[in-house]
This record gives sequence, structure tokens and C-alpha cells, in this order.
Amino acid sequence: MKQEIFRARALPWWLCAPQLLVLFLFFYLPIILAFFWAFHLEQPFGGGSQFVGFANFRRVLGSGEFWSSARATLAYMVLASGSSVGTALVLALAADRRLRLSGIARNIFLWPKAVASASIGVIFVFLLNPYLGIPAPLNEIWPGLWNPRTNPLHAYAMLFVANVWSAIPFSFIILLAGLQAIPEELHKAGAIDGAGPWRRLRDIQLPLLTPQLFVVVVLEVADSLSGSFGLIDTMTRGGPGGATNLLVYKIYSDGFKAYDLSGAATQTVILMALVAVVTGAQYLFLERRVRYDR
Amino acid sequence: MLKTSALSALAMLAGSAALQAADIEFWYGNTGTGEVAIQAACDAFNAAQDDHAVACMGQGSYETGMQKAIAAYRSGRHPALIQFFDAGTLDLMLSGAVLPVEELEPEVDWGDYINGARSYYETSEGMLYSQPYNGSTLIFYGNRELLEKAGIEALPATWEELADAARRLREAGVDCPFVTDAHPWRVLEQFSARHGLPIASRDNGYGGLDAEYTFNTGKVAEHLQNLHDWREEGLVKLNEDTAAGNYTVAFNTGECAMMEGSTGSYGAAFAALGDKVEIAMAPMYQGYERHNTLIGGASVWVMKGHDEASYEAARAFLDFLRGDDRQIAFTRTTGYMPVTKSALAALEAEGLAAEPDFATVPTGVGSLDQPGGEGSRGVRLGFYVQFRDIFMEETQKAFTGGQSMQAALDTAKERGDALLRRFEDTYKGVALP
Repeated sequence: MKQEIFRARALPWWLCAPQLLVLFLFFYLPIILAFFWAFHLEQPFGGGSQFVGFANFRRVLGSGEFWSSARATLAYMVLASGSSVGTALVLALAADRRLRLSGIARNIFLWPKAVASASIGVIFVFLLNPYLGIPAPLNEIWPGLWNPRTNPLHAYAMLFVANVWSAIPFSFIILLAGLQAIPEELHKAGAIDGAGPWRRLRDIQLPLLTPQLFVVVVLEVADSLSGSFGLIDTMTRGGPGGATNLLVYKIYSDGFKAYDLSGAATQTVILMALVAVVTGAQYLFLERRVRYDR
Repeated sequence: MLKTSALSALAMLAGSAALQAADIEFWYGNTGTGEVAIQAACDAFNAAQDDHAVACMGQGSYETGMQKAIAAYRSGRHPALIQFFDAGTLDLMLSGAVLPVEELEPEVDWGDYINGARSYYETSEGMLYSQPYNGSTLIFYGNRELLEKAGIEALPATWEELADAARRLREAGVDCPFVTDAHPWRVLEQFSARHGLPIASRDNGYGGLDAEYTFNTGKVAEHLQNLHDWREEGLVKLNEDTAAGNYTVAFNTGECAMMEGSTGSYGAAFAALGDKVEIAMAPMYQGYERHNTLIGGASVWVMKGHDEASYEAARAFLDFLRGDDRQIAFTRTTGYMPVTKSALAALEAEGLAAEPDFATVPTGVGSLDQPGGEGSRGVRLGFYVQFRDIFMEETQKAFTGGQSMQAALDTAKERGDALLRRFEDTYKGVALP
């Protein structure tokens, strides 16, 4: 087809302009500002800022809280994305098997998508309240068995449960669509050759599902780094004792609650670099194993 | 509440446009009874005169108010008046964004404020920066019904008596004898002040920006260790140990028998428990002379960058809030206290001091009016809001067994000192007023 209709060179730019403008204002401009502040010591009310070179980076990288927060962030990234993708995969495989009621299940699993993570946090804090929630009777029998307000492991367990619940719909729908696109003939051929359900899962479904799995893993990993904010803010506020103070929450509390704009900007730059490196690594190493051809 | 304030703001905008008078904004952080009382004050001001209109806008909390004020100031859309809380005092003094009230209204007799209320908000040279508003301080609360179960007649006046009373309460079947959130305002600032101990060198920072924290040794450390041990023994509960999840709610619902709390909590406690609530000055350790507690709550700051007409309105509103009747009305709904000598005299003269609505006044003002010492002037330390979070984080780890209390306090001091040094660097070349 000849490109005669869109000969005006400026037209594509005009068409992209609204999107680019929004991207610039809400994405690139803040990034530029973050870089600027990361190299300056900034007064909260904007009275003055002085260039300090890498002093902010030295301060942040030299503090124990940053490293414990970074370690917690990485552990959370692996466990949260792993658990949510894993659960969504099991549910998608089950819903794909045309069991009784799987049609309804496919529908129901999507509903949590409509709930904001902050709301999910509030609901789960109540459900898992050690004295009034579901675990309350168990706490009566064995006092101290469950208390996410004081026990860091319990706090993390609570976050994971809420995170899995909120992350399932998105992964689920993509994985299910991928599974349903696998031609029926392959299953039939495999079955005729004597492959049972497990064998067909391993040799047919999972290999053919890798493109969807890759997308889901990349998005979930990136989301676990930044999207955990709503859950942490409503469920643990970084506690107990800073145990769940993941980078994304630490940046917020340093910047907005503690007026440390420079430190928060510095950590933002570091977190951005981390997300870029992790996502890049996924494309470099994981994508090689993805089979796009069917 | 938000809706009503938005509506009244709209109404005022419309009304004031017709009058060609200055309309200003006042941002506040209180919720609950405090917010009701602030809105009532605004409505009364707007109804009492036609020259000015003030739109009072709730921000949800002191901290949110401060965050929004920073953002608003940077974009030039900040209000003329804003309520800030105690811990942000030095950050505001050095911000360059505020106008001292003594400069705005030099003719006012600022000496009318009682000493405990003034010293927190004035410079080391004695210039008052903000107008004390909802003044509170730390007092001690007891639930008469629960205390009687253990045969305890009077509220304990010392920590030694308190531990003893707590043991008897436990024996009498009260699961939660004493509750606190172990917030530094209660266990560090007010504790040190009334025991006459500074928490940092250089007179708690009044002497200069090069102060360092010193609380990790001596009586404060001992007290926190005691709280830790008493919690292990089942005498003390923290927020997270209570069913309510919050110490004031735990006290108000009758779950806990005693608490240390702000006078500002009295309104809610009285509403829930009625005359079962007993109050007294916060307990001391034996062998220490009682000094004044610090003023808590918040004060009203004037922000720079408005025109003279707005400042005229601001003066009128500040004068109105400072009035004796207004302070007394505010106290009646909230449990905050009048903080000028004239308002206290008026309260006495009208014979109101004995009414339950004003129950916190004798105790609270009495506590604020104790003799002062080097540690009880106030807290003049930079990034102090962040330090409070650090203190909470480290001591929480000690309470839940992650580290020893001494290690927690040492780390908190170290991290706090790093904050102070950064504050010094951030305001390089700015002199402490």
C-alpha cells in the first residue's frame, strides 16, 4: 500500500502530541526533577537548594535503613510476583479444563480487578485482625499465634495474601486467554499418543504459554516494586519496626512525612535504575526461552 | 465534614465577592471534636462581622496539612493562616515561609500567654513565632470503675506506685492495667521535660543547630527499659497488644484501666466513660522534682506572600481566636485548654472551672505551670517529625524482641544525630532565630 494519505510529515506528531504532552508532564518532568534534587540539598519550602554532588547518594547508600529496605524490596519482588503468578497459573489451568462451574469461575476471578489495592488493604487488615478477625479464635487458644502488628513475618504473610488476591485477575485473564488459544488438536494428538494431563501440561501447555507467562512475570515484577504502596500504606505503614518499609514506601515517608526531598529523590533515582535493570535482565535472559511461534 | 467545609468555602467566596472584602483561607489538621470546634469558631467569626471572611479547610491530619502546605507554598497557592503541630516548629521557623505573629501584630500583649505555652513557640530571644491555639499537654487518665475493682483509691502519682497499682489490677482480673502507644511525645519529650532532663545538647537545640541527642543514657533509657519489662510482665500494653488497636480507644472502651494521654483526648473519653474518667498530672519517678510539661497540640502560623488586605483579615481572625470567650468555648467542646492568663482568669471568674467540661484545665494548666528547667523549654530540633518516626521504629523493634532497648535508643540517637547534621547542612548559612 502506498503511503499517500499520510504525506504530511507533521501529522503523526500532531496525533501523538496529546499523549507525549501527558507523558512529559507526568512522567519525564518528574524524572528530570528527581535527578535534579538527587544532586542538590533542597529546603522543604523551597527557600534554597545547593549543589552537593554525590553527597546524597553517599548518604543514602551509607545508611543501614536503605540497605535493609532494598533487601526487603528484592525479597518482596521475588516472592510477591512468584506467588501471584503461580496462583493465577494454577487457577487458569483449572478454569481452562472445562470443569463444572469453570465458566462462572472465569467470571468471578476477574472481580478483584475492580477493587483498588488500598481498599483491599483495608479489608484484609480487618479480616486478619488478631483480636477481631478470622484468626481471633485461634489467638484465644494460643495467645500470640498470629499478630501482624508485632511480628514482621506475619506482616509479610498478610501483605502477600492481599497482594495475591489483588494480582490474580490480571495474570489470570492473560494466562487463561493464552491457554484457550492452544489448538484443541494438540491436546487430542497428545492424548491419542498416551499423554496424561500432567504430561500434556508439561510438554504442550506450558511451552506454548511462555509468551503470556513472560508478559505476566515482567509486569508483576515491575508492579511488585511500585504497586505495593497502597497495600503497605493501609496495612502496615512500614511496620512493625520498619520491617515492611519497602523502598517505594520509604521514598514516600522520607519525602512527604520527613521533608527529606533530596533523600527521597535520590532513592527514586536508585529505584528507577533497579526497575530498569530488572526489566532489562528479564528481556535479555528470560525472553530467549519464550517461543512465539505456534 | 469535608463537604460542609467545601460548601461553606463556596458560600464564603460568593458572599465575600459581593462585599469586596478580604477572604482568606485557614488550614487545620484536627478531626473529630477538634474539627467541630474549629468550624464553629470560623462560623462564629464570619457571622460576627462583615469585613472579612475566613474559609476553614480541614486537611485530615497535622502531617497532611504540612505536606500540602509545602506543596502549596512551592506553587504559590498557600493559605494565609495554617495550623501546624509542635514537632514542625523549627522546620517552619527556618523555612522562610512564615511571618512571626509578633511582627504581624506588634501591639498585642503576647506576654499574656502562660509560660509553658509561649516557650515552645518563641525564639531563643523570646519572639513568639506562632499563636498558640489548641493547647494540650500530657496528663494521666484512670478508669475509676476498674481501679475500684483492685481497691485502688487514688491515681498513682509515681511510676513506682503505678507499677504496683498495675500488679494489683492484674490480680483483680484487669487484663490491661496501663496502655500507651510509646509515642516519643509521651515517653520521651513530656517525660524528659517534667523530670527536668534535656533530650539533646545545646538546651534541646535552643542554643544552636549543632545540638546532639542525649536521651540514650540516664533516666529516659531506664524508663523505656521499665516499660519494656512491664510489658513482658503484662502490666503495660501497647497499641498493637489491644483489641482496639489504639490506646485511647482501648481506654475509652474500658479495655484498659490507665493511660497517659493528651488533654485533647478528654472530650472523647468523657463522652464514652462519663464520670468514671479520672485525671491527674502524669506520674514522676521518685526523687525527681516536677518541672513543667510541654505544650502539645498545635499553633496558628501566618504564611508569607499575601497582600495587606489578607493580613488585615488574618489579624482579625487571630484576635478573634485569642478572645477569652472563644478560648473557653473551644475548651468546652474539646478538652484543649485556654492558654492565656486572661482567659484562665475569665474561666475562674465565671465559675466554670468546676464544671466537668473544663476538668482538664486545673490539671493541664497546673502541669504546664510547674517550674521550668533546661529540659522543659521545648524541643528546637530540626527534622524532628522524622526523628519521631525513627524513635518509634527502633523502640518498636525493642518491644517486639528484635533488639535490646539500649541498642534501640543508641541507634535512634545515631540516626537522629545524622538528621540533625543534615538539617544543619540544608540550612547552611541560616541563623537560628
